Amino acid sequence: MILYDYVLSASCYKVRLMAALLGTPLILRAVNFHPAREHKSPEMLALNPKGTLPILQDGETVLTDSADILRHLTMDHPEWRSPDDDRWLAFASDLNESLGLARLHDVIGYEADIDTARAAGVTALRKLEAHLTEQRFDGLIFLTGKAPTIADIACFPNTALAPDGGFSLDPYPSIRLWMRAVRSLPGFIEMPGIHRLHELAHPA
Amino acid sequence: MSWIAVGLKKDVPPGIVIPSRLADTELAVWCAPSGSYHAWSDRCPHRGMRLSHGFVRGNTLACIYHGWQYNEAGSCDYIPAHPKLTPPDTICVPTYSCTEAGGVIWVSLEATDQPLPELGGRVPVRSVPIALSAENVAAHFGAGSAPTVAVVSDHDTVLALQPCTDTLTMAHVLASPDADPKAVSRWVEDLRATLEGVPA
Repeated sequence: MILYDYVLSASCYKVRLMAALLGTPLILRAVNFHPAREHKSPEMLALNPKGTLPILQDGETVLTDSADILRHLTMDHPEWRSPDDDRWLAFASDLNESLGLARLHDVIGYEADIDTARAAGVTALRKLEAHLTEQRFDGLIFLTGKAPTIADIACFPNTALAPDGGFSLDPYPSIRLWMRAVRSLPGFIEMPGIHRLHELAHPA
Repeated sequence: MSWIAVGLKKDVPPGIVIPSRLADTELAVWCAPSGSYHAWSDRCPHRGMRLSHGFVRGNTLACIYHGWQYNEAGSCDYIPAHPKLTPPDTICVPTYSCTEAGGVIWVSLEATDQPLPELGGRVPVRSVPIALSAENVAAHFGAGSAPTVAVVSDHDTVLALQPCTDTLTMAHVLASPDADPKAVSRWVEDLRATLEGVPA
């Protein structure tokens, strides 16, 4: 499987992270999204007329939506799926359009209605915190249950990168513990702005 | 200033450090493996890195920048770049009074002989950020600068208010042990929406 990838993209990281957790090898093709806008080049548009990243190519199959890609990667991994995933995959696109947009605005100067994005981002973080808090009342740490699913992998990157877009995560204790649980998963990989748990990387 | 709640015990388990603040004072609050809580100035004396970005290793808090390790008294015990050096006593982090009681982590920035706030057997439910100053939140309930505010509800609720900024208060919510925590959680979401003047 080939992933057309941009290292700073939260959505591309979803795919890299999911594949790493599954132990599924990916061939990475780096696309110069910024500043070269290579994702809008004729070659890339031939592959994906929408001109977006990520793009996953698996034989004849070409997928350009990160939620579809997560479903595709976990096709034969029912342990990574829950009936509640769809709701959280939809929520993950809300996160992308609020937290993710504010991050692109702040980091690479994307045009955005930044006040709207920031307000929507706070609303989304509060919703996530409320849900994760209720999960913890039931002794659950992940979004849909005791074990992580594609829901967690879809929502984690833009949440963890929220400080890049000017959002403080300090007031959200359940989000903090959830992010810690995701970062503790065997096979977890980093991206710029999201690091591993230090004590696991360097055991005392 | 007397004892102020900065978090809930269940949100800061042993081995965890979190960033927090009381007005202009930035704090690193951490729990040692023994279960004892500490609230320190959130600056490493070496290069000023936030200690809350660091990690708990054994009974020390280590800075993420150069790995300097501070013992539970706040004194530097170990400098990785100079492993044979016994660091001088002058290398220490300013520490504040910090204790856990009733499932709440309390901090006092000044030495105090005041008793901890009485919780009347209520139990912690969750901590919620409210986009208002603590004075403003307290004023809604006709309260002054008390560290806790009783709020009439079906759940015998108390809010322990942590002043963070002019536009941020953390409300640490306690309720009757008989209350359904999900009901309390939704109640405080509604309360916040009312206080912030946004339709629920």
